[in-house]
Amino acid sequence: MIKVDNLTKRFGRHSAVSGASFEAADGEVVGFLGPNGAGKTTTIRILTGFLPATSGTATVDGLDVSEHPLETRRRIGYLPESVPLYRDMRIREYLRFRGHIKGLRGDSLRRRMDEVIERCGLGDVRRKMIKTLSKGFRQRVGLADALIHDPPLLILDEPTNGLDPNQIRSIRNLIKELGESHTILLSTHILSEVEMICDKIVIIDGGTVLASDTPSNLVSTMRSAGRISVEVKADPERAREKMSALDQVKKVIHERNRGNWGEFSILVESGTDTRERLANLAREEGWPLRSLHRHAATLEDVFVELTRKD
Amino acid sequence: MGTLLIILRKEFRGFFQSPFGWILLSLVTVMQGWSVSSAMKALQDAPIPESLVYIVFHMPQFWFYFLALFPLITMRLFAEEERAGTLETLLTAPVQTAQLVLGKYLATLCFYLVLWIPSFLQFQIFGLLTDLDPPFSTGSLGGVFLLIMLMGSLFIAIGTFASSLTSSQIIAGVITVGLLFIHYFLGYITVIYGDQFPAASLFHHISASEHLRDFSRGLISSSTIIYYLSAAAFVLFMTHHALNYRRWKS
Repeated sequence: MIKVDNLTKRFGRHSAVSGASFEAADGEVVGFLGPNGAGKTTTIRILTGFLPATSGTATVDGLDVSEHPLETRRRIGYLPESVPLYRDMRIREYLRFRGHIKGLRGDSLRRRMDEVIERCGLGDVRRKMIKTLSKGFRQRVGLADALIHDPPLLILDEPTNGLDPNQIRSIRNLIKELGESHTILLSTHILSEVEMICDKIVIIDGGTVLASDTPSNLVSTMRSAGRISVEVKADPERAREKMSALDQVKKVIHERNRGNWGEFSILVESGTDTRERLANLAREEGWPLRSLHRHAATLEDVFVELTRKD
Repeated sequence: MGTLLIILRKEFRGFFQSPFGWILLSLVTVMQGWSVSSAMKALQDAPIPESLVYIVFHMPQFWFYFLALFPLITMRLFAEEERAGTLETLLTAPVQTAQLVLGKYLATLCFYLVLWIPSFLQFQIFGLLTDLDPPFSTGSLGGVFLLIMLMGSLFIAIGTFASSLTSSQIIAGVITVGLLFIHYFLGYITVIYGDQFPAASLFHHISASEHLRDFSRGLISSSTIIYYLSAAAFVLFMTHHALNYRRWKS
């Protein structure tokens, strides 16, 4: 559905996106992750035809967005980050206007309006002025607008930004539901959201795509998957030396001492388990062993590892 | 074409869905009525060899409220969309920039024409109330309203252009006022410096006050019509490019 190939966008000397490539297949829910300023919104704006790319191509449903701007926009339902709406319009009036400029008329427009109002839970407020709505309802109005022309692709830019936990949950459930019948590109930096909803994750930082895979694959291939914590009562220097000498151990860090107990973090190669050999070593050396724990990596570890600057 | 009409209708209704349009309409009606009554007072006081239409549009009030209208009705057009971010939702819907520019422009032009209905009626009322022949010819009334429409088409285009340059309505309004004043006073260059320099005819050609003098006497010149319409088209073309360029840069 989406294919972004070597996309670059420069603003003067500053590159917001540099050589980004990723894909989203039909029906996939793709999480688009990255720290603030990573180039997510710029990429999305190029996809939706609001900004032209400096170089590279972006296609939606096989059509290049810069060559067929109107056709691709018809296939996209877009919810911008700030959810811009006309404050002085009523919800129905707004949706009617948006439906009109997206080419809906008469009966089919009325039917779609009823459907999206129902689906987005706007039934009770449908006659209200937009400026009187809470942030959560505005988000729903934005989403209803994105859905009104029944597009196969939804592009949602931080849809849960600034909502309270209950609102986040209800928007998230809505997105989950929509994911069953739509391709969705969901930009966010809330990782739990992505773990819950997405089939695939694209991580972007500094304008380049750092990883693009399913959440479980990403977690299992990360280096942080192989971190082990050990607490032994031993001379720290000697313990570090001995543990470093084991096979498949990449690095041993002496974290701190708690009384006589020394805490160590051990980085090992991914896909190996060194805990048994560590236990054996402790027994042979006669070190009392208090804890031996392998950390399960989370998406957060993956994200931090890929995007941290230090 | 459908999209253009939808945008036109939305924008036109927008003028009447807030107090703004109604306040402006009533203020303009008052100013127009005041012009007519002070013109009649002037005719009563001393014989003037000009028609009522000519005198009404040469009252000191006229250029004041006339030039102040344009920033008021145009400053909102694109600046507000830009500020609220709704330009993004508009231009990511299947809408062409040209449809958006023309839709907004024509809607404002329609509202502007509505603003002149009271003035037109005031001239009709004279005949209805007095049973006398109106003290002006059809030619001068028609000429003045034609010129009002022509000046409106250019000045609204200028305001639309200014609004597309910024996200601040105030700045858009100030730019519009500035450009309109400059345009107006360029017409006075020949009054200040005389006709003895090569470009003098150019300044006569674009002088709004000379256009008003001629048209309100019923002297309609095709070169003036072409001047306003082609300049309006050119400024709209620039608006289209300014909007695209702004998106391309930022």
